[in-house]
Order: sequence, then C-alpha cells, then structure tokens
Amino acid sequence: MTGLTVAATNMPTSSYLGVSLALFALGLIGVLTRRNPIMLLLAVELMLNAANVSLLGFSRHWNNSDGQIFALVVMVVAAAEVVIGLGLVVSIFRQRRGLDVDEMTELSG
Amino acid sequence: MGEQIAFGLAAAGAIGSGILVITVRSAFQAAVALIATLISVAVLFLLAHAPFVAVIQVIVYAGAIVTLFLFVLAYLGERARRTPDRLARYQVFAWLVVLVLAAAGAIVLLTTNLARFNDAQSPSPELGSPQDIGNAFLKEHLLPFEATSLLLLVAAVGAVILAKRAVQSEGGR
Repeated sequence: MTGLTVAATNMPTSSYLGVSLALFALGLIGVLTRRNPIMLLLAVELMLNAANVSLLGFSRHWNNSDGQIFALVVMVVAAAEVVIGLGLVVSIFRQRRGLDVDEMTELSG
Repeated sequence: MGEQIAFGLAAAGAIGSGILVITVRSAFQAAVALIATLISVAVLFLLAHAPFVAVIQVIVYAGAIVTLFLFVLAYLGERARRTPDRLARYQVFAWLVVLVLAAAGAIVLLTTNLARFNDAQSPSPELGSPQDIGNAFLKEHLLPFEATSLLLLVAAVGAVILAKRAVQSEGGR
C-alpha cells in the first residue's frame, strides 16, 4: 500500500456513527418536507451516504472488509435508483409540464 | 492529532453541505451542494481505512450520479428548477418523526456497551486496499457481485424503455 492509506487509528467508532446519524436525519427531513421529486432523490442520496458511513465505521471496528463490500453494493443500487428515478421524472415532466409529488395521484385509487 | 482535525473538518463539511442540500431553493444549487457532501464523505471513508471505496465514491457518485442530476436539471429547464414550496401541511409530523429518530439514535450511541466502541481503533493496514476488496468480491461474495451486475442491466433496460415511452407519447418514433 502506498500513500493512499491515511494512517487513521485515533477516531472511535462512535464518531462515525454520530456523523452517520446526523446525515441520515438531514436526508429524512429533506425527503419528508420537499415536494420536488428531484430534491427528494437528492435527499435519498444523503441517506444512502449516511448508511455507507456507518457501514465503513463498523468495517473498521471489526477489521473486516465485508462492510466495504456492502458499501460498494449500496453505491450500485444508488446508481440504478437514480437512473430509474430521473427517467420517471423526465417522462412525468414531459407529460404534465410540471413537477410536484402532491399532484401525482393517479395511482391512489 | 492530525486525524482528529481531518475528521472534524470532513464531518463539519459533510453536515454543513448536507444542510445546504435540503435548504436551498434551487435544485441546481442543491445538486452542487451534494457534490461537496459526497467529497467530504469520501474523506471520511479515507480516514476509515477504505481508500478504494473513497475513490469509487468520488468517481461514481460525484462524477457520474450528480452529473446525471445536473444533466436532467439542465434538460428540463427553468420550470423544473423553480421548485414548489415545502410541504407545509405535514411539516410538524415530519419534524416529529426526525426528532424521535435522532433522539433514539443518540440514546443508542450514548448507552451501547459494544466493546471498544469509544476507543481508538487499530485496523490492519491491508483493510480496504484494492487487493483486499477484489479478493473479497471474487472469492467470498461472488453472488452479490453478479446480482449487482444483473441489477445494473435491468436498470439500463428500464431507463431505455421509459425514455422510449416518453418519446412515443409526444408522437415521435
């Protein structure tokens, strides 16, 4: 290993989980209070990143790379989610000339 | 000492730009603030002995996913960027949910008796190296690896079909 690895051994696992909790709460506020679907997707990205921070914190805690594998899979899932989400946003926008999750009620029966 | 300073700066950067992501009115500015969050989180990953995941975070997240966001915002134009107001009716309920969740998380963080939870960590230097990740992916976790490739294929086909429907609904081919 070369200079890429920063020799960080000081921070306790709890500090990673604290950052993770803060980011997740911010993302949840964004998801629950915004009405623009693009802003919802951005806030969901925040929540996924919060999950990755705690996965990597525990990966370091147990000295085991399984958590890092999990974080990489989460990134792939996030990429797929953004592709489909933005595809839906574009196709809804082209049909109704506006974006507001409150007005998308066709499926509510 | 240097690690604490780097961790503090990265954590403050991640949380500060995270606040920007959910508070700015323009979706364009929110996407740019998300880039700052993602890069700060990549620094946290580097400090957590995950250099490979940190590099992938910058390339895939900041490089590809946010670029896709910016591309769609530019394509949809001004009307999509003029975001509707916040959801006023359920605002109280939303804050209640978030406060309960944050309180529960804080209680767990403060009362857990997990071993070494508040101590300095000393992981092995190989943890998170590209060799380590490659070995783990191709020897122990081959099934998740193939499942993610299948997921990407499904997402790509789904995106093409969505785009085709949208073009057809406007009378195109």
